[in-house]
Amino acid sequence: MTQPPIDLLQGTVDVLILRTLAWEPMHGYGVSRFIRQRTDGVLTIESAALYQALHRLERKKWIRAEWGLSENNRRAKYYALTTEGRKQLRAETATLKTYVDAVFKVLEPV
Amino acid sequence: MMRRFLRLPWRSSSRRRADLDEELRFYFDMRTRELIEGGMQEADAHREAVREFGDLEYTKQYCLAEDAMSNRDERRTDFLAELRQDVGHSWRTLRRAPGFTAVAMITLALGIGANTAIFSVLNGLLLRDLPYADADRVARIWGAHAGTKFDRSQLSAADFLDLRARQRSFASLGVFARGGGTYVGTGDPVRLSGMRVDANVFNTLGVRPLLGRTFATGDDSAGLAPTLVVLGHGAWRRVFGADSGIVGKSIELSGRMRTVIGVLPPSFFFPTASDAEFFTPLDLTPILNDANRARKFHNLGAVGRLRPGVSVTEARADLVGIARQLEREHPESNTNMTVNALAVRDAVVGDTRPALLVLFGASTLVLLIACANVAGMLLSRAVSRRQELAVRAALGAGRARLVRQLLTESLVLAAIGGAIGLALAYWGTGALVRSAGEMLPASSQVALDGMVLATAAFVTLACGAIFGLVPAIVASRGNHSALKDGGRGSSGGAGRYRLRSALVVGQLALAAVLLVGAGLLVRSLARLQQNDLGYSLDSVLTFEVVLAGERYATAASQDQFFDALYSRIAALPGVVAVGGSGTLPLRGGSMGSLAIEGRPHAGPKLPEVGYQPVSDDFFKTMGVPLKRGRTFGPPDHNDAAPVVILSEGLAREFWPNGDAVGARIRLGPDPSVPWMTVVGIVGDVRIGVAGDLRPTAYVSTRQDHWGGAAIVVRTTGDPMALLPPVRRELKAIDPTLPLTQASTMKDVQSIELTDRRLPMQLMAAFAVLALVLAAVGVYGVMAYSVAARTREIGVRVALGAQPSNVFGMVVRQGLGAAAAGLTLGLVGAAALGRVLARLLFGVSPTDAATFVGVAAMLVTVVLAACLLPARRAVRIDPLEALRSE
Repeated sequence: MTQPPIDLLQGTVDVLILRTLAWEPMHGYGVSRFIRQRTDGVLTIESAALYQALHRLERKKWIRAEWGLSENNRRAKYYALTTEGRKQLRAETATLKTYVDAVFKVLEPV
Repeated sequence: MMRRFLRLPWRSSSRRRADLDEELRFYFDMRTRELIEGGMQEADAHREAVREFGDLEYTKQYCLAEDAMSNRDERRTDFLAELRQDVGHSWRTLRRAPGFTAVAMITLALGIGANTAIFSVLNGLLLRDLPYADADRVARIWGAHAGTKFDRSQLSAADFLDLRARQRSFASLGVFARGGGTYVGTGDPVRLSGMRVDANVFNTLGVRPLLGRTFATGDDSAGLAPTLVVLGHGAWRRVFGADSGIVGKSIELSGRMRTVIGVLPPSFFFPTASDAEFFTPLDLTPILNDANRARKFHNLGAVGRLRPGVSVTEARADLVGIARQLEREHPESNTNMTVNALAVRDAVVGDTRPALLVLFGASTLVLLIACANVAGMLLSRAVSRRQELAVRAALGAGRARLVRQLLTESLVLAAIGGAIGLALAYWGTGALVRSAGEMLPASSQVALDGMVLATAAFVTLACGAIFGLVPAIVASRGNHSALKDGGRGSSGGAGRYRLRSALVVGQLALAAVLLVGAGLLVRSLARLQQNDLGYSLDSVLTFEVVLAGERYATAASQDQFFDALYSRIAALPGVVAVGGSGTLPLRGGSMGSLAIEGRPHAGPKLPEVGYQPVSDDFFKTMGVPLKRGRTFGPPDHNDAAPVVILSEGLAREFWPNGDAVGARIRLGPDPSVPWMTVVGIVGDVRIGVAGDLRPTAYVSTRQDHWGGAAIVVRTTGDPMALLPPVRRELKAIDPTLPLTQASTMKDVQSIELTDRRLPMQLMAAFAVLALVLAAVGVYGVMAYSVAARTREIGVRVALGAQPSNVFGMVVRQGLGAAAAGLTLGLVGAAALGRVLARLLFGVSPTDAATFVGVAAMLVTVVLAACLLPARRAVRIDPLEALRSE
């Protein structure tokens, strides 16, 4: 599987991060690893974009940060979804689904 | 630990940078290790992790910028959260002490309400915009009598022209004279107040008409003057139904057709004591051509627009200099005649200013007393809350946070008090304007506008800060020992008590000042009401009739009209007597120069005496006693020998030997007028409610025709009940004549007294308020003192002190404060007395009786306020007091 990774739009990155954090609070590295493993490497988020997104989402109060201990006992910054963020996730998922459905209505042969 | 819960974590910019570095370092370490586990060399793995990351520098900047923004947001929500917390806490605290809260709020509401109400009047009168372009450059100009208080009298036509020609201070000068008229439209005839103005008046004032134009050069010429009119906005709406096509139409005013050339804007008012409803051009030529009147007949007012850079003071000096020249050039007419000029703003406010400023001062004193009271109450409360505050401090609340919390409490208190105060002010302002009547110029616009609301808000916040800050600082100084001794520690108590005592002394002093002021005004009014006017006011109806039209051109027709009116009214049931005069004595009168036959006058100028035409039965109707000779009667008709009646004072002044009856005099400047024979002497009459017993010469209305009269009717019953039949009788004689100014003489007096009674009543209300607030303050500090000294008093009683000793101790303490406050207050009142002088009548500003009375009243109130705490002190059980510690 040496398919080249797909570039993602900013809004899509945000939704993916929110969806990932909906499982459980994670640190930035965890989020990046989770997305990579879940999509078998098809979707990779450039780490620069990931961290920018995390801090942006924190400012928007969709996620909140707290220092905690990592699996290997190191201090790490953990991000968790806020109520606001959960609401946002639902809304953006719906939008994205509508969008993708619409695109496929055009692409799929009838 | 507690601290973390009390305040959310804010991070400094260096803290945020370190956090970000640590977060990213963690990522790189983890990623590098993952790559190594995948089989890479350590150095390659690290390089690869950095490479695949992307733009690191940009990411750092981006994240730091986002973090800075979050931090700002958090600080703001934090502050708001804390404020909400403080306000909520304050509200709960205040609700837990409903008695304290109610008293404090009512106190503040009264203080702020009184202050705001007076300020709104002040604002509507002294600080408003005037309806003149660049109003600060407009001045009012009067004639004045040197060395007397008559500094706002009239100018003569020739003097005015000389002033205008010689002055260098004004860009333009306009002149005007009063002159009313009757408009007969389709309905009842309407009497309108009018003003005759020359072509320069409106340009000088700087007025843009609402419709049409104002007067231009030439409109005041002999040809045009009688044909033009400009309407005021009020008359245009009221009488002409706001007819927008009125310009160019002809209307009949007092039997003459005039073309309306313009209508003035609604905000406009004429800068005289009473406004005018229509304006006609003033042509000075006839009076200038009459040598006897040109310089001796004073009936003109003037306005001027100052040249740029010239002050009113400089302009006045300029005019006074010219008046001196005129005095030298025309000694027979101008001796002692000078000129006065004031900024138009000062002119329109007139005599109301001192009363308003005094009242504003008084209401501010009340507000200060209210603040002192609440401050005292908060200080006492701070004692009982020391434990609560110590607990909060122990839990991590900083001192600044505690001060902020207490200050928020004060501000919440002030805000609620201010809101209630504003409601009081709204109601109070309405009541004030209704009862002020003629005291406020008709043109004043009193309302709770933005300016007033802003001031009230500012005053409220200032109050909250003043009475809140000191107790807050004092209270937050409490230390943790308060926890140990259960909050009853005595440290700091002495200082706090001193502070409270000082507040009470201050309150008593302010209250004393207000009481003295009120006392002086009350005594002034009492003097005025007891003042013997020289006639009787009871059961007298009065109204005015002005004759208009060709029908009354001759003296005989006027006599015929009044004879008919008097006999018809006299025949009405209940009428005792009916008479008429030129002007009601309560409303002032005219002056004229007096020449006596066979006595060449000594000075360059004849003496001035009061002058009044009266009907046959005027003296009988008004109850003015005839002292000698006779009154007027039908034989004194227009063609008979001219006769005159003198007031007792005038007769005594010029005929000290009592031989006035039979002497011959002449009134007025015209030497061609025949001599008049004195036929009687009547009692002295006061001119105006606060006026002097003016020496007056009375002539018969049968020999001096004014074309109108103020009628007086004495009845046996209610004077106003007589008005409808009187109106019917007037209509029967001439349905085109309006009956105006109908009132009882009592009401005329009452209205004339308004501008003295209202300040007195308000001042008295403020003084009573101040006294009650001060009493509450005294009670508060005494009760606190007794409570704080429970143990000490217990020991004293245990050692053998008698109840009378304890009682005396408490009362002495209260009297000490009273003595200090009273001394300060009375000294202050004596110093401030000058301010009141203009409002007083027949009472000295340092009237001993008033000062003694105030002292007695204040001491009594302080004693009463001490009574309850003293009795509580007496009842202290020494065993209980000692055991409770």
